[in-house]
Amino acid sequence: MSHSENSHGSSAPPLKMGLAIPDSKLCMWLFLGTEIMFFTAFIGSYIVLRLGSPGWPSDPKDTHILVLAGGINTFVLILSSYLVVLSHEAMIEKNYRKAWNFMAGTMALAFLFLGIKSVEYYGKFDHDIVPGHIAENDEQALQKLVREFDSSRISLLNAIVPGDDDVNKKTSKLSTGPGEGEAAFDPAMVAAYQKLDKSYGELRDAVRAEKLSLHVGVDHEINPEIVSRLEAMRSDEQIAPYFHAHDPHPMVYGNVFASTYFLMTGFHAIHVVIGMILFGIVLLQGSKLDGNWIDFVENSGLYWHFVDLVWIFLFPLLYIVDFS
Amino acid sequence: MENHGEHHHPPYKFIFMILIVCTGLSWIADELKDRFPGPGWLAVTVLAIAAMKASCVMLYFMHLRFERHWKYVLLAPTFILAVGLPLALFPDVAVHYYDVDVPQNPVENRAAGNYHGETAEGGHASAAHH
Repeated sequence: MSHSENSHGSSAPPLKMGLAIPDSKLCMWLFLGTEIMFFTAFIGSYIVLRLGSPGWPSDPKDTHILVLAGGINTFVLILSSYLVVLSHEAMIEKNYRKAWNFMAGTMALAFLFLGIKSVEYYGKFDHDIVPGHIAENDEQALQKLVREFDSSRISLLNAIVPGDDDVNKKTSKLSTGPGEGEAAFDPAMVAAYQKLDKSYGELRDAVRAEKLSLHVGVDHEINPEIVSRLEAMRSDEQIAPYFHAHDPHPMVYGNVFASTYFLMTGFHAIHVVIGMILFGIVLLQGSKLDGNWIDFVENSGLYWHFVDLVWIFLFPLLYIVDFS
Repeated sequence: MENHGEHHHPPYKFIFMILIVCTGLSWIADELKDRFPGPGWLAVTVLAIAAMKASCVMLYFMHLRFERHWKYVLLAPTFILAVGLPLALFPDVAVHYYDVDVPQNPVENRAAGNYHGETAEGGHASAAHH
């Protein structure tokens, strides 16, 4: 049957191929299908890894996981999802000003979510809970401590002796004095360097000779010798700005914990940013927002609900569940 | 929604309140975790709450309750992969019967009960750790 015969021969509406939903919505759902597979691969692998890693760090004191921050962020995302729904409803009711306001509220909550997340990330970086940086047993913790003393020593040395010379050359300059035309070294800084260098040397030698244990006593407390060494450096106002050693704290499976934590929350945060870009496009329309944007708002909302969905599972899995 | 030719008004406010209450319940479960018979119970509880929240979001906020059958065709493969991947990894990563000798788990760690594979005494404990 030709197209003209169909058009003229019947009063029925013209046939439409495909599903009775907008193409853009179908595309968004197909995209969300791939996104579900993307995140379930991470989450599924995380669950399996965690089940297979006895001793996985779950104490918030070790992991610096802030359950309250995660809970507040859950509330923030749920509220933002609700506002997106209301924005879409307002679009259908042709109340575009109201829709814009709800969208602006969603955007503000997305910023709040990222703000809280960055506070959490700051805590992780501050305690060096970063993949590849975490000592998983006492021996690794002591070696890390020695490395951190060494890098702090070099930082202080570079502050005293500026320039591109290597460490050995700079160290010898400390005893021979500055070169011609170079500024004199600050004696207080030099004394501080010698103090740090001495402490570093003693610590390194004790660790190499296996004469220093990280934990002592029945309570398994950190060796007081290490604590006093750290306090001596941190309380010295010349050394403190250059001293970056952390309290030694071995964490079994800490690195895979940090990897999975940053992988999942990081990709989720990227999705939040993409959602904010979508909302930003709507908000930029200002008073020009009209009925042509209904599908865009609906699809952005679908995407945002998916971001919310992912967090709904990440919150209990990362912040609450303890399989040990 | 537009499939039916009329505009539905799902109870958005009610769903929002359910989601908030569920989030509060997760928080309370975490606060009371010491009172659970075991960590598995806490996990089951908070994941069940999460599944309920996810259902509310998908059914009402994402309007899946009002969509036609295409939703099953579109979401079935993703569901199969979501379940299939952990199941495929589970035997070799999560419940291996053999001893995984890794430097993170020194002998004293196993003896302390943190490792449930090969025990320090040489006996063989349950492979299903948790």
